[in-house]
Amino acid sequence: MKSMAILTDVTLCIGCEECVAACDATYQTGPDAPFKWQNDPNDLSSTRWTTLAEAPNGRFARLQCRHCLDPACAAACPVGALARTDEGAVAYDPDICMGCRYCLVACPFAMTRYEWSSAAPRVRKCLLCYPKLKAGELQQPACTHACPTGATIFGERDGLLAEAKKRIREKPHVYIDHVWGETEVGGTSVLYISDVDLDAAGWPSRLGDRARPLLARKVLHTVPYTFGGVAALMYGVHWTYERRRKVAAAEGPAPPTDLPEDSSHDTSGETS
Amino acid sequence: MNAANNTRLIVTKAILWLLFGSATMIAVARFTRGLGATTNLTDATPWGLWIGFDVLSGVALAAGGFVIAATVYIFHLDRYHGLTRAAILTAFLGYVAVVLGLLADLGRPWNIWRMIFYWQPDSPLFEVGWCVMLYLTVLALEFSPVVFEGLGMKKALRIMRHLTLILVIAGIGLSTLHQSSLGTLFLLAEDRMHPLWYSPIQPLLFFVSAVGLGLMMVSTESSVTSWLYKKENEWPQLRALTRAAAIVMSLFLVLRLGDLIVRGTIGRLGEPTWYTALFTVEVLMSVIIPVALFTLPKTRDQRWATVTGAICGVGGLVLYRADVGGISHLGVTGDVYVPALTEIMYSAGLVSAMALLFLFFVERFPVWAEKPALPGHFTPPVADRLTGSYFGGSWFGRSHLAGGAWLAGLVLGLVVLETTTAGGELPIPHPISPSRSVAAVPQEPGSTATSRLELARFDEPGKPASPTDVTTALLIDGDRHGRFVIFDHEGHRARLGGQDSCGRCHHRNLPLDRGTPCATCHRDMYRCSDTFNHELHTTRLGGNSGCVRCHPNPKAAKTRGGSTPCSKCHAAETVTNLAWTPTLCDASSAARDEACGACHAAPRLDDANRAVEHGMAPGYRWVMHRLCIECHCATESEQGRSEPVISRCSACHRGSLDIPETSSAMRVARLELP
Repeated sequence: MKSMAILTDVTLCIGCEECVAACDATYQTGPDAPFKWQNDPNDLSSTRWTTLAEAPNGRFARLQCRHCLDPACAAACPVGALARTDEGAVAYDPDICMGCRYCLVACPFAMTRYEWSSAAPRVRKCLLCYPKLKAGELQQPACTHACPTGATIFGERDGLLAEAKKRIREKPHVYIDHVWGETEVGGTSVLYISDVDLDAAGWPSRLGDRARPLLARKVLHTVPYTFGGVAALMYGVHWTYERRRKVAAAEGPAPPTDLPEDSSHDTSGETS
Repeated sequence: MNAANNTRLIVTKAILWLLFGSATMIAVARFTRGLGATTNLTDATPWGLWIGFDVLSGVALAAGGFVIAATVYIFHLDRYHGLTRAAILTAFLGYVAVVLGLLADLGRPWNIWRMIFYWQPDSPLFEVGWCVMLYLTVLALEFSPVVFEGLGMKKALRIMRHLTLILVIAGIGLSTLHQSSLGTLFLLAEDRMHPLWYSPIQPLLFFVSAVGLGLMMVSTESSVTSWLYKKENEWPQLRALTRAAAIVMSLFLVLRLGDLIVRGTIGRLGEPTWYTALFTVEVLMSVIIPVALFTLPKTRDQRWATVTGAICGVGGLVLYRADVGGISHLGVTGDVYVPALTEIMYSAGLVSAMALLFLFFVERFPVWAEKPALPGHFTPPVADRLTGSYFGGSWFGRSHLAGGAWLAGLVLGLVVLETTTAGGELPIPHPISPSRSVAAVPQEPGSTATSRLELARFDEPGKPASPTDVTTALLIDGDRHGRFVIFDHEGHRARLGGQDSCGRCHHRNLPLDRGTPCATCHRDMYRCSDTFNHELHTTRLGGNSGCVRCHPNPKAAKTRGGSTPCSKCHAAETVTNLAWTPTLCDASSAARDEACGACHAAPRLDDANRAVEHGMAPGYRWVMHRLCIECHCATESEQGRSEPVISRCSACHRGSLDIPETSSAMRVARLELP
């Protein structure tokens, strides 16, 4: 299957929150119950997998898991509960998850949420409706289906990228010439075009184009060599010292170099 | 020395048992109530004290094990042999603490075994997990000769002797990987770390600091136990270790500052922030002070300098790990995280439990054997060499004291749990409150009041003047944070034409839908504007016999599609769409910008128009904002006012005001309403 994606056109979003309601209805996430520490009750939460952030000029930018092409959360997950599928979605399996929350730490967009009030908590985030699409229950994600203005649409990533660029080309005076998610953190499967800057609405400018797992992956690939190298080095040092000692013993009854100090503290343990 | 009369040992143990007891209680609560109830963790700060201190620092403190093992078995510096067993025991217990800390922190610890079968070689945490598992095994095996010796199991002891070298080399390799992989862990957290702490060479920094930490930890641990058991310390060895530590820590500082310079973030040190101060304190504690004490001619041979420097350095490096592990994240995420008392007590209890185990082993087994017992001339264990009177007595000498302290700890833990829970440390969900009817008093135009209605206060004498002054208003939850909208529902109904006017406000269709049942929209978050009352409908339509009025096919599912649209009965109350007519608010952009622009950068009239054209529901915000504001714009411009009062947020969204259910306004309202 081709890599699928969502394109959100911020200029078309009217802030009706139908996507939020559709997501809630599809996954029965339950009534919103913001935590005391949650600064904005409309922020993403374990019961709200997508929400609207206010962008400048009264625009809205939808927040949801960005389904990175090289997701930091999946790279972080030590058991593979979070994994990127061939279809583009970053899927989650709570039966495998051990609840370490490294994915929350690693997400460059801070889009993952946790069921803090549960004794068997799960990580909660947008799944791109992957399980339901796979099972054929849905033809497209609930949110894009619910969107009344077509502000957020579903399709193949390549096609949506072309569509985004076409819209920008057709209305260069309206849109900022940038497709958010095309290259950020190595590319995401949730793309945005907008007439206002999205810095404050989920796309901080510091992100850059480097996929987050690259550096850690490079370090981790050296693991077998590091272990082998250290072990070999240690054995080498050990062998050298051992050999030197044997040679010294064979040549003459030279006392071990450390002996004087050894004897000096022999008595120390018995004092007091 | 008669250890039974060693007061400092007994008092220390009692305190350790107390802390362990309280941690036991908190562990029970943690697994039954969940993380939210026992920690101050949030979505923005998912890792807290248990990771930053228990795990990161636990591993760090265990670094002494592999450093000393390498010194003794690889570099053959036999004079350090006396320190080996204690260092390995410390490392083993450190790792046990790491595992126990991790189990408490994991949300679903029963899945931890999956790491063995579901390989994720891209995950730093996967590497950490494997290293912990393997190294814990290696440490247990490395320490096992001490136990075998203590129990007189000569055969097992002889087998272990043959494995020593392999175990030591495996242990060093695993430690190298593990200490550095804790740094690798934070390569993935770059988006939430302060630039003074995020570093691409984090694995190297963690490894180098672990070597220094291991050297200083051996000195610290040796000094503390010498004090506790009033035993002579191995000063010459410790002094040599601190010299080595000084070199390693200097290298650490060079690497760290060099990294900052290469990345061009050294300038961040010039900023007068708390993080600069934190960085300075950390460098002073971990490097400058210990290195100075260990190397300056005046102090380097002083015992106090060895002890102070080592403790200071250990503290500084624990702080370094805590900074990397969480404290430096707070500056980026903007979240405020202070560990809950329960978190602190669990950590303290965990450390106490490990300290008790340490004391158990040194009292029972030849941990401090001065000379390595070789298989050839094996000496039977003399476990009571230091603390003679303990041997053969009850565990830990004074079982009633230990048990009592532990029970007291349980009670202490329970008290802390109850108080913090009652005190609101729990993250309490804040749903939108249902709207409430209250008694309100209309305000005279021109009075100082900010709105036309004020809550009736029956507890003030002389107010209201007469019952006719009181009307019924609707309190609508404005933002779930105690700010409410005081809405003159009765007044609106009367002005707009009584019963038939409901549709002026209470109507919105789904896209392309002409008769959306109200309940479709008016659920959970829409509760404050909920108008559909199923119970009321059942009663008015004649009980169960009236079902078919709305659900014509009894066999069909009770869904929107199969039910009679509301508009069938409420046709007169429903308008197809709110007609959009330009009003003063749109005409005068200056007035509009002044009024709305305070909060909203610019009203999105185009979008609103498009929504109306498409016959769609503009959603909660629009229902609340657009309906009210538009209507007020229209009516008030008719009255010749230039600026509608309602365009000021404070006209409706009143400040937080605690109105208890028992207040007089609420009571009266309930009496008056059907």
